[in-house]
Amino acid sequence: MKAGGSAMTVVMLAIFVAMVIVANGYPAGARFMPFVVGIPAIGLCVLELVLDVRRRRESATALPAAAPPTAVEDHEAPLSPQQTLRRELVLWAYFLSLIGGILLFGFWLTIPVFLAAFLRFQAGASWTRALLMSAVTLALLFAVFEQAFRIELHPGFVTEYLQDRLGDGS
Amino acid sequence: MIETMFGSLFVMLTTPKIMGLMLVAVVIGIIVGATPGIGGRLSIALAIPFVFGMDMIAGSVFLLTMHAVNGTSGQISSIMFGVPGDGDDAATTLDGYPMAQKGEAGRALGASVTASGFGGIVGAVVFALMIPVLEPVVLAFSPAEFFLLAVFGITLIAFLAGSASIFKGIIVGLYGMMLATVGMDPQTGTARFAGDYLFLWDGISLVTAVLALFAVPEMIALGVRGGSISSVSREAARFSYRQLFHGVLEVPRHWWLALRTSVIGAVIGMIPGLGGSAAAWMCYGHAVQTSKHPERFGHGAVEGVIAPETASNAKEGGSLLPTLFFGIPGSSGMAVMMGAFLILGIQPGPAMLTQHLDVVWTLIWALVVGNVMAVIILLVLTRWVALLTFVNGAMLVPFIFVLVALGTYVSEGRWENMLVLVALSAIGYGLLRANWPRAPFVIGLVLGKIAEESLHKALQLWGMEFFLRPLSLVLIALITVTVAYAVYQNIRPSKVRQPMGASP
Repeated sequence: MKAGGSAMTVVMLAIFVAMVIVANGYPAGARFMPFVVGIPAIGLCVLELVLDVRRRRESATALPAAAPPTAVEDHEAPLSPQQTLRRELVLWAYFLSLIGGILLFGFWLTIPVFLAAFLRFQAGASWTRALLMSAVTLALLFAVFEQAFRIELHPGFVTEYLQDRLGDGS
Repeated sequence: MIETMFGSLFVMLTTPKIMGLMLVAVVIGIIVGATPGIGGRLSIALAIPFVFGMDMIAGSVFLLTMHAVNGTSGQISSIMFGVPGDGDDAATTLDGYPMAQKGEAGRALGASVTASGFGGIVGAVVFALMIPVLEPVVLAFSPAEFFLLAVFGITLIAFLAGSASIFKGIIVGLYGMMLATVGMDPQTGTARFAGDYLFLWDGISLVTAVLALFAVPEMIALGVRGGSISSVSREAARFSYRQLFHGVLEVPRHWWLALRTSVIGAVIGMIPGLGGSAAAWMCYGHAVQTSKHPERFGHGAVEGVIAPETASNAKEGGSLLPTLFFGIPGSSGMAVMMGAFLILGIQPGPAMLTQHLDVVWTLIWALVVGNVMAVIILLVLTRWVALLTFVNGAMLVPFIFVLVALGTYVSEGRWENMLVLVALSAIGYGLLRANWPRAPFVIGLVLGKIAEESLHKALQLWGMEFFLRPLSLVLIALITVTVAYAVYQNIRPSKVRQPMGASP
């Protein structure tokens, strides 16, 4: 049993406890369902923690077993925990940059920059290929959302602010 | 009913827009199915923004067709390279890959594509045959039973999906139900867990939640793994059309096996949570047991390809039944589909039988026509579709991230949903890393609102005595037995505990 499993149980327990405490301040009708769901969930989280401890004890005393066969064949050497963590952090950084970029600068500015950067630095594509793929994707999305669906995408707070300032100035 | 049945088919076939959308859906479904890293439910979630503005028939037919043909192309990598795209295709690898190694890749692919199409059609037929049988049962259900059915659905799915621990599955299901309570309470008008944030008053966006729990964690995991799934030569992807044709003929040659495994697959699909992986493995086992030469299995027996492929596609028709009539998704893919149905204005439940039978029949025909289209297209294009398995995973990740961001924003037109996306993605990735099931979350989120509404109605109608209704007692007994068995499974010594083969 991995410690990560218990950590997730603790996170879930914290979420349920917090939501039940908040729900306690609602009128009876409104807190009914959160209680019906939350209280048994808290009980189950506690039970799961107890079971985790039991499994850890069992596995500590048991002989090491052979690794179970996996459904998907792995052709590459397994990553070390440090390598995995580093890759995870990089990917999360890209994802958060995309979301942050969209919120600040809008979809149309962020998408091409994000795609080009990811394809070049993370996927190892050449600059030409990365820029070409970004441009084609941008054109396709623009055609679908702006031209076909007429959906106005988030312009970005900074972009909006600058547009307002430039508009005031002219 | 006959009039509605054939009227729906006629309308579908004579509406160019619907047929055009189906063709697009089939092509996308085939590409997505063959591309490593994008599963069926993920493709539906990503496609939801693109069906905004469509009417309920067009949108639902598009999504269902795409979902139905996903598995048809998914087995290409299993056969060509011995690398299953997902759990559904793992059983096909056992005999499909040895066939390819013997130089019979074309025969194996012809058999698997035809078997998939045949299975999909039989699954739809089984669903259609069940309608008159189920009608009185569905109409006998009251709000009390729908509440208990929602609880039973979550229990069953958590039980089947949570291979290591049912409690984890139930906890995740309850987490989904808890998030379903976020927003304005219809009974008291209280804004629950929303504070002054107006965007939360309508509740957590289902599209955002699905993308956060599935798409983002899967893409990060794919990015961490990196590389394409195949490390073999592209030369291996070559085969003749003559071989492919021989493979196609294997299905009529083994029609009795194909029919049996299709029906078994459709019936398994009706049981919430069992999913395609269980259907495929059970039917593979059935093929081995009923064969006169079981020793051939594992060494390139074509029956070992036909049985799992018919089953995994037939289960789509089966899983549509509890989704549409009871509001209990038959699989995690169907849970996402159900969310999409709700967005399109299709409200699953008894009304589907009484008021929207035309929609039901259209969806059944969509399964049939979609599968026929997929078989024809794949038989022509398999050689080129196989090359998709060489796509580098790292190249897909940024495009999926962009689609996730677009889907999150477009679903409700609110930038605040991006923040919800980030928060839920962190939890989704935590669940993936800790090997917790995520499917019960979607089912909990979808069923949470239905359960609360039904509970309030039941309490208003019968008070606390609603538990004592005969049908309620049956459902309570089923929930109790499931939970008791799960507790027994978890409490007894781990050395005798067997893992269950179910989809996440």
